[in-house]
Amino acid sequence: MSDVHLDSAVLATLQDVMEDEYPVLLDTFLKDSEERVQLLHQALEAGDGEGLRRAAHSFKGSCSNMGATLLTELCRALEDAAREGAIEQADGLIDRIEREFAIVRILMRSERQRFTLG
Amino acid sequence: MPRRLTILIAEDNPADRMLLSTIVSRQGHRVLTAGNGHEAISIFEHEHPQLVLMDALMPVMDGFEAAERIKQLAGDELVPIIFLTSLAENEALVRCLEAGGDDFISKPYNPIILEAKIQAMGRLRRLQATVRQQRDLIARQNQQLLNEQQVAKAIFDKVAHAGCLDAPNIRYVQSPLALFNGDLLLAAQTPTDRMFVLLGDFTGHGLPAAIGAMPLAETFYGMAAKGYSSGDVLREMNAKLKRILPVGVFCCATLLDISLQKGTLHVWNGGLPDGYVIRADGRHAPLVSRHLPLGVVEPGNFDDRFDVVPVQPGDRLLLLSDGVLESRNAQDEMFGEQRLLQVLDDARPSESSIDRIQQALLAFHGQVQDDLSLVEVTLVDGLTLTPAPLAFVGTPQPSPLDWSARFELRAETLRNFNPLPSLLQLLLQVHELRHQAGTVYTVLAELYSNALEHGVLRLDSRLKASAKGFSDYYSERQNRLRALSDGHVCIGIDVSHTDTGGRLSITVDDSGPGFDVERVLQAEYRAEGLSGRGIRLIRELADGFSWRPGGRGISVEFRWDREA
Amino acid sequence: MTITSQLSADDQELTIHIRGRFDFSTHQAFRDAYQSVGATPQRYVVDLKEATYLDSSALGMLLLLRDHAGGDKSDIRLVHCNSEVRKVLAISNFEQLFKIE
Repeated sequence: MSDVHLDSAVLATLQDVMEDEYPVLLDTFLKDSEERVQLLHQALEAGDGEGLRRAAHSFKGSCSNMGATLLTELCRALEDAAREGAIEQADGLIDRIEREFAIVRILMRSERQRFTLG
Repeated sequence: MPRRLTILIAEDNPADRMLLSTIVSRQGHRVLTAGNGHEAISIFEHEHPQLVLMDALMPVMDGFEAAERIKQLAGDELVPIIFLTSLAENEALVRCLEAGGDDFISKPYNPIILEAKIQAMGRLRRLQATVRQQRDLIARQNQQLLNEQQVAKAIFDKVAHAGCLDAPNIRYVQSPLALFNGDLLLAAQTPTDRMFVLLGDFTGHGLPAAIGAMPLAETFYGMAAKGYSSGDVLREMNAKLKRILPVGVFCCATLLDISLQKGTLHVWNGGLPDGYVIRADGRHAPLVSRHLPLGVVEPGNFDDRFDVVPVQPGDRLLLLSDGVLESRNAQDEMFGEQRLLQVLDDARPSESSIDRIQQALLAFHGQVQDDLSLVEVTLVDGLTLTPAPLAFVGTPQPSPLDWSARFELRAETLRNFNPLPSLLQLLLQVHELRHQAGTVYTVLAELYSNALEHGVLRLDSRLKASAKGFSDYYSERQNRLRALSDGHVCIGIDVSHTDTGGRLSITVDDSGPGFDVERVLQAEYRAEGLSGRGIRLIRELADGFSWRPGGRGISVEFRWDREA
Repeated sequence: MTITSQLSADDQELTIHIRGRFDFSTHQAFRDAYQSVGATPQRYVVDLKEATYLDSSALGMLLLLRDHAGGDKSDIRLVHCNSEVRKVLAISNFEQLFKIE
């Protein structure tokens, strides 16, 4: 599995595309992702395999857009596990997603600060 | 030059939605956004975007259902839908396609690929719009063409009326708009109890093919009603078509001239497939094309020779257009002459060949063919048809009831001119004769052809006793007439008052050696063959009959009572 | 190209080759074949060796060629006619207008 938390080339492209809106995009992603992590927990607790798969799939898509490489791969692993009904792996994967998201959050906030100051 | 489109982005993830709408609007498009399928449909209804970027998985209503609804709402118009999804799952891709998706794009978004796909869909959309406009235009023009054809057909029907195609002994199959395939079917009963039937097939399709039909029908019906011979009608039709049609457009045609009284069929076929005489016992013989089609050669070079075939009650005459033989089935095989002959061989003698041919064509193609023409005339004894109303020239005025005239037709005139229609027009100035115009004409025509054929041309009617001699007789008649340099036929007409009304006397004599009228009459009573039925017929039809000593002239009389 | 034409070395004879179906779709090409030659040939040859089918509009086009070539004074040969083509020409009695070989 990749050890890249945030792909700097992707971030450069996003900054290029978004211009002044770049920090808003980062904020939006972080706020939405917190909700998505909660959705993962809820689906697991409800034993809803299909809901878990969909939530992982959606989260995976936006992570990939934001260059959160490792987070994307963890979401894919969770999506695969949910599809194959391997719910027993889900708990561990959601834990890892949560921890990785915490790292991404820190990195993005510093990226945001860098942009605002720069 | 990229075109600006209005694009709807339906995506529930706010960050992705924000990123995507920024990319798309930076590329110059107008962007509308929706957070779920339900919103997407509502925005589509109000704003009519030209393209939709649709996330598959959304709350409230997912992308698949929204895509289906949008495609329904768009109807004929192409509104491309690009699904925003990972390309990894085949099952999901299939669902996207089934929902009406036109393309996919996966995350993470690549702005270059995104713009390329949007432009490609924009081009597809414009192409489809052009095709749709052209399709609608073609449909409108086709509808207009059909309307015009119906109007044109209605006018044609008024000019050409239906002739005697509705006679009980005629059966035909023809599409209502066959005229615009170039097919033409005409039938007329002449004042002399002959029936003319013409099946024609103009080159080409549509208006150019139909336009020649009008003058052809007018000539055919006009001349047939006035008592012109089939040869006269044929020559005039050829001359008229040659004059008016452009080079390269012509009319393949078969003209039948049927006289049951005389037991003859005169047939001229220029360019149509073989027609057939089908005998009562089922044997059949072809009526072969021997001539160039109508409208090809100048009048001076036109070959108006008819084949003459003896016929009798119970015989059937079948004509068909090349649409029958050339029609092809799904395997691209032609129906062809062999199949047709097989059908004729297999048909029971009493059976209409038209039914059999139609059944065979249906079996061959698996569906009904409507671009062909078929006509079958059954020869029935004693069938009396009302001839087409005679065309009277001039305004009504009192009848001339006391006059006489004498015509002497000499060799050159006999070669080139048929005096009967003009004489009939003259006689019909006497209104009192109009109700028996057909009889008068038949008798006049018999007297004239007897004088010409036996008197001037010295043909022996006994030749006609066999089928072979029968056809020899008519070719010999043609040859001798062409070579005629000497001789004459005189026609005397006398109209006068009687105590009770009036009388018409017609005297025909000729330069020939005369004949033994008594003997001919006796012979005709015995004759059962094909030879000379003329004299006996004349005697039966006329009110009075006498002959000059030596048989060099015959007189007949018609009488009428004064109207109360 | 389904229709090609070739002028003889002395410019006296134009040969027009027909390939495939000879019907209305070849109308313009057939006209071009004899109208666009620079010379005024005395004789025309229509080579139907590779013609698979001939319909009544093809007969019309042959009449147009005949008109172009001088009508009754024209010298046109239709050569290498297969039996199907021959049959169509025979039904219309075109042997009265063209030399059919």
